[in-house]
Amino acid sequence: MKLRLLLCMAMSLLAQDQKVLVITADASDYVLAAGGTIAGMAASGATVWLVRVTNDDKDSWDLPPEETARRTREESERAARILGIGKVVSLGYRAGELGGVSPTELRDRLMFYVRSFKPGVMFIPNPYAEYVEVLDRYYTGQAAEEARRAASLANFQPPFASVGLETHLTPELYYYAQPFDPRRREAESTATFAPQPKALDIAPMLAKKIQAAQALKTVNHALAMRIQQRLQETGRRLPLLDRVDDDAVGKLVEINVRKLAEIGAQGTGYSAAEEFHYAGVEYQIPAKYR
Amino acid sequence: MRLLIALVLAGVLGAQPLPLGRIPPGRTLLVIEPHHDDHTTDYGMGGLIARFVEEGHRAWYVRASNDEKDGAHGYPHNDMINLRESLEATRILGMEGVHGLNWRNDYMDSIPLNELRAQLILLIRKHRPDAVLGHDPWAHYDRNPDHRKVARALAEAYWMAGLANVHPEHFELGLKPHRVPYLFFKARVDYGKGHEPNVAMELTESQVRKKMKAYSTHRNVYASPAMARAVRAQIEIPEVKGLTDEEAAVRFEEWHMEWISRKRGRENGVRYAEVYFYRDEFDHLPGLKNYITSNTVKQ
Repeated sequence: MKLRLLLCMAMSLLAQDQKVLVITADASDYVLAAGGTIAGMAASGATVWLVRVTNDDKDSWDLPPEETARRTREESERAARILGIGKVVSLGYRAGELGGVSPTELRDRLMFYVRSFKPGVMFIPNPYAEYVEVLDRYYTGQAAEEARRAASLANFQPPFASVGLETHLTPELYYYAQPFDPRRREAESTATFAPQPKALDIAPMLAKKIQAAQALKTVNHALAMRIQQRLQETGRRLPLLDRVDDDAVGKLVEINVRKLAEIGAQGTGYSAAEEFHYAGVEYQIPAKYR
Repeated sequence: MRLLIALVLAGVLGAQPLPLGRIPPGRTLLVIEPHHDDHTTDYGMGGLIARFVEEGHRAWYVRASNDEKDGAHGYPHNDMINLRESLEATRILGMEGVHGLNWRNDYMDSIPLNELRAQLILLIRKHRPDAVLGHDPWAHYDRNPDHRKVARALAEAYWMAGLANVHPEHFELGLKPHRVPYLFFKARVDYGKGHEPNVAMELTESQVRKKMKAYSTHRNVYASPAMARAVRAQIEIPEVKGLTDEEAAVRFEEWHMEWISRKRGRENGVRYAEVYFYRDEFDHLPGLKNYITSNTVKQ
């Protein structure tokens, strides 16, 4: 018992020094795929930063892109605060347009934050997750994965070092994605260097995750309206969405987050969980060399 | 002997039949492909197109490249011959027409993705398809740059066409946002793990015949008399006795289509089939799909 207590105290002390960098393509993806885990780390004392790559300007029902971007930025910052994230950086790329952005430019902008913040843990969209239809997540994940590596090598962006941004290798990496990929639970390889599937319990943080997801009012309202429209066009209705007001949308978001947590927990023994592909210290230094 | 029995059993047990799919509700089908002959990819798609049409859909084919490299007649002539054959093949399948985007064949890796996507979004908004057939954007090891590019553009176009802030200029023409609800993705099933079909679509004999005919219409790239001559020089095939090499080549190609449709059928417990990765209308909302489908009522 004493040993367990000491272990908990040690972990808590470690978390207090922990720095977590979350990179997301859009306002909602990281909340839905990893929000519970991030909230848990923040609650344990970790300092968390968020870099949001696009401005979400397309994701509204009846607002022009400029107003959509303005509202989504505010709401994204609110959601981040709920999760315990201390700082939000919005890079401002137009949503849905990352396919036309230089991957090196995006990598270097993300690398800037890796070197300036020097995180111990990074959360990035999993670019290898299949059937994720929002390709901004793929481009962001790929750039973020490269940024983590490039940040550790002095010959990438030498001017960074001249302004004090020294090299930094982030030891832990979580690849996140919502559960679209039917093969997401399969280990890609048993090799030490391949990130492995990992599920984490988020039951204590589920309420916070729901609250954060509900804060994204503009994208949630658009989602509810699109569902309602699709059903109406095909002669159907969802009673919950007969009136698409704040209550109905909030309830819809809660159902979504609870079900995602249930899907994440399937086969794990948890009641609510999130799924990742995880690359820890083993990923960099195989046991036989340590 | 025991090992042999185990291997046979493992093989049999490993190949679980796929669930048989249905044609989803609706009236319009859009087939979005890089090339004139991609309704034959992995020897599939043509049968399902014919089935969609027979079950009441109007269908159009989007051919993104100009297919100038396919054939032995030089670029401009190949382009024209392949267009003609494409019109004929799609007519046999019962389709209404072909939209040619005219991108340069086999050079699509370097074209702007967002430009191609914009063309697809426009066509999706024009036709408002209930279902789209296309290459699987997540298939592995596809060596063809055009397949990758068009599949990737399609991966975004089918849902971005539903967002009012994407290409709002289209609405000046009276078009409206439209998200494609049902998708059938196709790729070779022997190219790595990327494409694992989740549904088998049963075909009738008549649908397989249309597919065979449509396939062999692409004489500029298939049904080569030289291939038939080479085969006949090595083995005697009574069924093609008395036919010219050109006629024999067409027969071989048709057998090929019939054979693969029968093989896919046998694997899945029916006479003829094609296999796809199918996405249903709310599969993009894994946390809400069950709730929506179990709580939706008729208006």
